[in-house]
Amino acid sequence: MSATLSETDLAGVTADKVVDARGAACPGPLLETKKAMGTVPVGSVLELWSSDPQTKVDIAAWCGKVGHELLGTLSADGYERVLVRRMK
Amino acid sequence: MADQEKLVIMVTHGPEDPELATIPFVMAGAAVASDVDVVMGFQGEGCRLVQKGVAETVSAPEFAPLAGLLDSIRELGGQFLVCSPCVKSRGIEDELIDGAEVCAAARFVAEITSATNSLVY
Repeated sequence: MSATLSETDLAGVTADKVVDARGAACPGPLLETKKAMGTVPVGSVLELWSSDPQTKVDIAAWCGKVGHELLGTLSADGYERVLVRRMK
Repeated sequence: MADQEKLVIMVTHGPEDPELATIPFVMAGAAVASDVDVVMGFQGEGCRLVQKGVAETVSAPEFAPLAGLLDSIRELGGQFLVCSPCVKSRGIEDELIDGAEVCAAARFVAEITSATNSLVY
């Protein structure tokens, strides 16, 4: 799992779309991200909110498989913000 | 350029075992999200999961509700094949959800032998 941006840089990223999957069990956050990715243009940044600590690992594996760019993960109050750039 | 990947997932547990009924849908969901073609094959009590109104009754602790997974898999292109004698013996051949296709053994064999991999639950 590798993030391409530092935490400081990451905090400055403005997402084009936020996917709120807090409370959803695996693979809900992944499925919501997949569906949302199809609604934004290539190059856009999606911000996934998930309260499942495994989500960031899952999304990293998914990005590696399908070719999107994992920008990184930020901690929030009770959930994590995973930022992904659509690459194709 | 690799050929399109395909995963066949055989489901043999039904509402009597919510966890083993749900896990194949979890795997199928992750697969369709990953641009892998998915064929789910339902045999034995697994057939009950594609009987109208049944998926909504299945939920395992700490897992996503089965009905929502089923809807997402169908929305993202997953196929549902159902064993012909299994549905006939249960009298549910006219009660299957939209998109469920009744088929016989040779179709399952063709799907499995042409898949990248297969899983049996």
